[in-house]
Amino acid sequence: MTVMLRTVLIIMSVLVLFVIIRRVRLSKARIEDSMFWVLFAMLLVVFSVFPKAASFISGIVGTMSTANFIYLLVIFLLIVKLFSMSMRLSQLETKLMELVQRIAIDENERNRGEDLVDKNQEDFIE
Amino acid sequence: MSDVLVVIPAYNEEANIERVVENLRNNFPQYDYVVINDGSKDRTAEICRNKGYNMLDLPVNLGLAGGFQAGLKYAWRKGYSYAIQFDGDGQHRPEYIQPMKERMSKGYDIVIGSRFVEEKKPHSMRMLGSNLIALAIRITTGVKINDPTSGMRMFSRRMIEEFAMGLNYGPEPDTVSYLLKQGAKISEVQVQMDERIAGESYLNPFNAAKYMTKMLFSILLIQNFRKRDKKYRGHRK
Repeated sequence: MTVMLRTVLIIMSVLVLFVIIRRVRLSKARIEDSMFWVLFAMLLVVFSVFPKAASFISGIVGTMSTANFIYLLVIFLLIVKLFSMSMRLSQLETKLMELVQRIAIDENERNRGEDLVDKNQEDFIE
Repeated sequence: MSDVLVVIPAYNEEANIERVVENLRNNFPQYDYVVINDGSKDRTAEICRNKGYNMLDLPVNLGLAGGFQAGLKYAWRKGYSYAIQFDGDGQHRPEYIQPMKERMSKGYDIVIGSRFVEEKKPHSMRMLGSNLIALAIRITTGVKINDPTSGMRMFSRRMIEEFAMGLNYGPEPDTVSYLLKQGAKISEVQVQMDERIAGESYLNPFNAAKYMTKMLFSILLIQNFRKRDKKYRGHRK
């Protein structure tokens, strides 16, 4: 890795760290969500400060050069993150749907002035 | 209270909803109905409120699957034996609810109001799509469905529960295919459908292509990997 690449990585990582910690400090991000970015940035800093470690792993996984290994690592981590976000979005949409449906049904029952009896629960009593 | 609930999903149907509901109320009072206003941006909700229609007013737009599911949750809660999916644009005719219900009582889980049981399919791009979906269902389930894209479907109490509680139960051909594979009994009744009178159809070439891709992908591939909730499994073979 050239000194330039290491410098760029360190600067960008520190910037990411700064932004995410600021958001947590201002209560604009949850701590759970900040963890990925903090670890991500710290990993890049470690590899920039100790390029021997990156070269060593690069040799093992066969990525030809250390810089290649860094790219591959970043892409891999981002794909993992994207996947987990996609799953979370899916869950969120399901929950949102449940809520919207619930609101609409409850409102309908209130407007109709009917007692809020769930017919299925009646069945269970019988 | 009727044992049939007519579920009418409506998204921006200010031009049609009054005609559709008035027809039901005046000429078919034996059926209960509920309009699902799926976060419409036009006057659909206002019209329903002013006229005192029974309505589920979704505060945001969920799309057909989410809106229809809200209707089935309502049907489940209120204890209806049958629920029928009924378009808010006036394409579907309520006089076919009775024959569909009669077919239902012979022990079917789903009855489709089909345009092509006795009548031939016209040759058009739209019907090419319908044929492709029918073929995909036939390949994966071995069952011939003449009109898989018909939006007029009646569901039994057991199906109402499954649709109300489940995830990935959109009222679309891929769900029909999945349920067929799981051993659900599905039948078709010949119906006539009208052309949409007013308002804008959602169907344009781009959306149609998107819909087709999604359906074929879902039917041919994804549905084969789904696992059914134990509760619904094996009640009928």
